[in-house]
Amino acid sequence: MNAYAASFTVSCIACDRKGVETLQREAKLNRFFADVEKRALRIAEINIRDRDEALDLVQDAMIKLARNYADRPGDEWTPLFYRILQNRIRDWQRRQMVRNRVMVFFGRGSEDDDYDPIAAAPDPAGRAPDEELQSHEAMVSLEAAIGELPARQREAFMLRTFEGLDVAGTANAMGCSEGSVKTHYSRAVHSLRETLGEHWQ
Amino acid sequence: MNDRNKTADDDAFVEKASQLFDASVDGLDGETRSKLNRGRQAALAELQPGGRRWAQWVPAGGVAAAAVAVLVVWSISLQVPELDAPGVASDMEILLTEESLEMLEDLEFYSWIDLDGETTDDIEAEGPANNVG
Repeated sequence: MNAYAASFTVSCIACDRKGVETLQREAKLNRFFADVEKRALRIAEINIRDRDEALDLVQDAMIKLARNYADRPGDEWTPLFYRILQNRIRDWQRRQMVRNRVMVFFGRGSEDDDYDPIAAAPDPAGRAPDEELQSHEAMVSLEAAIGELPARQREAFMLRTFEGLDVAGTANAMGCSEGSVKTHYSRAVHSLRETLGEHWQ
Repeated sequence: MNDRNKTADDDAFVEKASQLFDASVDGLDGETRSKLNRGRQAALAELQPGGRRWAQWVPAGGVAAAAVAVLVVWSISLQVPELDAPGVASDMEILLTEESLEMLEDLEFYSWIDLDGETTDDIEAEGPANNVG
């Protein structure tokens, strides 16, 4: 009888410990998502030029990270999350190319033709209107220039500059070597500066 | 010296790009933030015991749909003797590719395209008959 009671007590303690661990992990993951989600959304949006679709991709990436990698150490989450998101973005772009080909085949144009980067860009808050307008226009120009970059350069630039990942983290997120990241990033900065011109700076 | 200037200019450029990006993130509207919050809660639900277990059956559903499609092609090939075996095999290959599984998600759209095409064909086919009529 005592053995049963002891076994039950140990089992309850184990359950409690597991429950507490789950809660702690959930709180930690919640903080991570809250910290990363807005920047991830803007990065996805600049890539695919559609906020609703970008929201779906970010949610998909969060769900996949929670489902498959929540047990991994917290410092691995950022590169893992961006690796998942970049894969989602690439898949979306591939599907979009196929859809556009089907649309062209059936005589319909791409809905992207209607994209207006000025209308789609968000309104920065808390600044004087002229300053806000300047920043707004500068960001629109930057987004357009980023859109012209080759995919790998775009990924390297956005992960390094916008998300603030270091070279190793970016390499992890992109699934390539650190040397490749340095090359892509350097070329991206050079190309963007050339496209945007001196007056942008 | 030139290299040093170039590096400084690059740093200034990156700094400005980063500030502009941060400003655009800060400027996200309430509705978007709310949607992000809902997405985050949906992701965290994955950690609950038994949470979203149904999701693991979704890929199986796709495979089942592909299997049904393969059966349909196979049964058609039995009914229509002039369909040659290599043709059927290539249809099955196409149906079993990863892209086709994704295409099954848009089946309704492609059915609509197909129906739309048939309707247009019917109108075109009926046109001269009516004129003759």
